[in-house]
Amino acid sequence: MTPLPIPAPDPLLLPMPPSALKALLLVTFTLHLLAVNLGVGGSLIAAVHALRGKPEDRDLVRRLAPMLPAAVTFAITLGIAPLLFVQLIYGPFFYTASVLMAVPWLALIFLLMAGYTLLYRFVGSAGSESLHAFSGIAGALLLLSVGLMLVNVTTLSLRPDLWAAQAAASPQGLRMNTADPTLWSRYLHMVVGFAAMAGLLLAGWGAWRDHAYARRAGLRWFIAATASQLVWGTWLLVQQPAPVLDLLLDGRSAASLTMWISTGMGALALFMAIPASQGGAPARAVWAPFWLGLGSTLGMILLRDQARDASLAAFGFHPGALPHKTDWLSLGVFALTFAGLAILLIVILRWAVQPVPAAGEEAP
Amino acid sequence: MNHPVWDLPLLGSGWIIGIISIIHVSIAHLVVGAGIWLAFLEDRAQRAGDRELQAWLRGRAKALLWLSAIFGAGTGVGIWVAIGLVNPTATQHLIRAFVMGWAIEWLLFAGEMATLIVLVRAYDRLRPRQRLILYGLYALCAWLSLVVISGIVAFMLSPGAGWTTTHAMGDGFFNATYLPSVLLRSFVSLALGGLWALAAGGVAPPALKPRILKPTALFTLAGVLLTVPAGWYYFQSFPPAARELVLGNLKGATGLAQGFRWALLGLGAYLLPALLVLWGVFRPATFRRPVALLGLLLACWGFGGFEWIREVARKPFVIRDVMYSNGIRVEQVAGYQKDGFLPQNAWARTFAASKGDTDLAKGEALLRSQCLACHTRDGYRSLKVLTASNTAEDNVLLIQGLRELDPALNPYLDRMPPFAGTEQEAEWVGKYLSSLNGK
Ligand code: HEC
Repeated sequence: MTPLPIPAPDPLLLPMPPSALKALLLVTFTLHLLAVNLGVGGSLIAAVHALRGKPEDRDLVRRLAPMLPAAVTFAITLGIAPLLFVQLIYGPFFYTASVLMAVPWLALIFLLMAGYTLLYRFVGSAGSESLHAFSGIAGALLLLSVGLMLVNVTTLSLRPDLWAAQAAASPQGLRMNTADPTLWSRYLHMVVGFAAMAGLLLAGWGAWRDHAYARRAGLRWFIAATASQLVWGTWLLVQQPAPVLDLLLDGRSAASLTMWISTGMGALALFMAIPASQGGAPARAVWAPFWLGLGSTLGMILLRDQARDASLAAFGFHPGALPHKTDWLSLGVFALTFAGLAILLIVILRWAVQPVPAAGEEAP
Repeated sequence: MNHPVWDLPLLGSGWIIGIISIIHVSIAHLVVGAGIWLAFLEDRAQRAGDRELQAWLRGRAKALLWLSAIFGAGTGVGIWVAIGLVNPTATQHLIRAFVMGWAIEWLLFAGEMATLIVLVRAYDRLRPRQRLILYGLYALCAWLSLVVISGIVAFMLSPGAGWTTTHAMGDGFFNATYLPSVLLRSFVSLALGGLWALAAGGVAPPALKPRILKPTALFTLAGVLLTVPAGWYYFQSFPPAARELVLGNLKGATGLAQGFRWALLGLGAYLLPALLVLWGVFRPATFRRPVALLGLLLACWGFGGFEWIREVARKPFVIRDVMYSNGIRVEQVAGYQKDGFLPQNAWARTFAASKGDTDLAKGEALLRSQCLACHTRDGYRSLKVLTASNTAEDNVLLIQGLRELDPALNPYLDRMPPFAGTEQEAEWVGKYLSSLNGK
């Protein structure tokens, strides 16, 4: 067998230990995913309720809509950082996969801008009489298709054994990673997860703001989506390549424990959400499933990373072994900028929640 | 190229970057200038106690958020995606060289978005002074992100001998064209942002118009005029070889010379808005939006011309004296010429194998890796056309000649990288070139 065409990593050294980069990757990716859950999952939920169009649904949409564009902005902004760290650590895999499906990958930005524009249109109409539910649905679907492109590149980057065939099939990079059995199960698992988490966030908001309909609707989204994960999640699991599957099922490895603990938390959240969604349930019943669901998502993010490293280890790649030389000077400048930004954020967020000034207070 | 090659027929992959980046850099500079303009006008409006103008500016801030969050961010990610596709090897090198630079750029972008969102969403809760501070903070974050990204872009043109030995981020960042390019880009921002503001002011209520247009026109005029000396200073800071490349290619019928002439015309067009904005100063009541939009278009042409010159001036490198446009680092050439490119490049080998490892397949694999960064087979800078009158032997001699590293023996070195392969590999490429014309 000829060796697989895995490009050599760049000769420049990493500016900090790979473990530190990995930590940054996971932290920023988690933040990104939370914003995506709210922005994209929330758009989906808002659009569906807009279609139903009962008075309580309209009220829900009117409350939810103004949060969506800002959430999508943060999803994009927070997505840039993990994209940077992925390229640093997994560069040879990431770039190769993206070039091999260049056209769909590039289409991502147009899908993103179009989806975002439609979302703005939908949100702008939320206050008026005629709600553009169609823009909402189309916008949410376009944003979800951005996720599809990301999942394509991610899955392809884990399968160097598929690369040569993919390259020969389309030198112009027109093909998506449909040869990979995990593509659709992984995508569905993720999208359904967005809907579940957005539902949970909505329920949490409803409990916080005493909005009973939001609370119950959010929990119902969470319950339906999470229950269906029994299908998508299992499907994704059994399609993992043999070394990863063995690792996940052995019951001893860190990856296996992560999987059982986070699925367990998800299942517990599901069972606690059912009574909490009933008519007479108190608002505080939301919080147990809320935190459990969030914990389960965090576990899944960790699991995703463990499965990735296990997949790549089978091809001889170990991120921990990448050479580095810590560059304290530029790290220092970064830390200072970060501190400055943090102070700025604290100050302006306090301004953003202060009470509206009384009339007359506003002297020129 | 260390990675697989994205083979984009006719257009050539480089143009993908060109198109997306013209749009992105125009928007990116515009939003910096527009941010500074907003702070400037809000300050004036608050001093004059002009509530009406403040309310109008609030609408501009909203429009700016929309432009910046959707299209500024979208095309910005777009450039990144595009360069990763077109030249992954170089992208990886740049990202590694400036890890913390990119990270700081990201923080500043997050600051831009946060300040603008708070300003727009919580406008009614803010005290006038806080509003002014937020306008100012937005402008500061936006301008600082220009200050940071300029270092990385200027690095590609003039990395400097210091960086080549130390590989320390600071050495690459503070390079010879850095300061001039920050100045130049700042003034261009003022001009673009001012023209955008004039376009909005052109449709403002009649009573407001003079209060908007006069200061805005002067703001824009300052931006356009200050660009001139900054541009001159910038050009003087070019590495000598880059300057010669520009000045030596202004005449003639080659594609390069034509491109330079278009870019120069653009630089002329950039000055026209200076005349157009005088209308806004002297006859604000009759000023119309299309005038400003025309000015914006002309200014973007000029700015695009400048960016094109900057890109071409580093040819045949993507990072001058460090890495050629085809992703081969200067220090790798000797090894490839001695031991062969195919044995050391997994993707070129994979491609040749997929076509049966014939001489033609190997030639095509080498050509994809080493030539398609700047040429296409039969579209932009077509190899078929460029070699149409060559015999099969000419083509082999041409590529074997490209192996020569001495500029006296290889006249193409100022625009093309040396061929990084053995005599035998050069012959395969020559054969493949001939096959394009059926010879
Ligand atoms: C850095 C970009 C770059 C790369 C890489 C490059 N070229 Fe060129 N090449 C040019 C430019 C610019 C010209 C001049 C075109 C013009 O004037 O219109 C040119 C001209 C040519 C010509 C015409 C020469 C003549 O005498 O008119 C040929 C043939 C050619 N290139 C072949 C190749 C081959 C084969 C490769 C790969 C081994 C290659 N080029 C790689 C930029 C490049």
